Amino acid sequence: MAHALSTSEAFAHEVRLHIFQQTAETARVPQPPQIAAALERSQADVEEALQQLAAGKVLILAPNGGNIWAANPFCAVPSPFRVETRGKTYWGICIWDALGIAAALGSDAVIRAVCGDCSEPMLLEVAVEELKQSEGVIHFGVPAHHWWDNIGFT
Amino acid sequence: MLLFREEEHVDRWCRTRDVQRGATLTPRQGWQLAHGWYKDKLKSDWRRHTLEEAEALVAGVGLTGPFWNLRA
Repeated sequence: MAHALSTSEAFAHEVRLHIFQQTAETARVPQPPQIAAALERSQADVEEALQQLAAGKVLILAPNGGNIWAANPFCAVPSPFRVETRGKTYWGICIWDALGIAAALGSDAVIRAVCGDCSEPMLLEVAVEELKQSEGVIHFGVPAHHWWDNIGFT
Repeated sequence: MLLFREEEHVDRWCRTRDVQRGATLTPRQGWQLAHGWYKDKLKSDWRRHTLEEAEALVAGVGLTGPFWNLRA
């Protein structure tokens, strides 16, 4: 039997859809004041929904406040992992999320990053949901079962 | 998860920051992992992967061994 959503779960679902739709359309992650205005709800309601979504690992809140740091794979602030697609520039927290942006949008994309060591520019390209051009290697520093212990470091 | 020009750069980055070396994968494996992980994230009925689904995804990309074990 399908699980019936509580009122707060239903609102968190609405907030999630709004965040991801807005981010996909604009390449910018909306923050609590904008979400509250768009959904005609109080900012406190939105912040409570964001706490629920963060607890469910749907998104990541900034360490010292109610702002969204990442609606992963979309990062709310500029990062060295730039994804150019649909005539816009999106940001990923890391190379996995940068690739994830192309996957989530289902769009051809050029990913511009830099080598973590020497800062030389690097480029990956996704076309028709395939990685068409790539270089280098991806390093995961944290074992899989610890990924969410400190997701910022991971 | 960072991108490096080559394995030697990973070694140097870990050494200079006194960070333990983790594991590397190819960008193609990274794409396959990211695609499986995120391709449905914008959908209304998206839900988190179950542990079993995540394990199948990681293994399906060829990432096996203790480092890629998702269970604590």
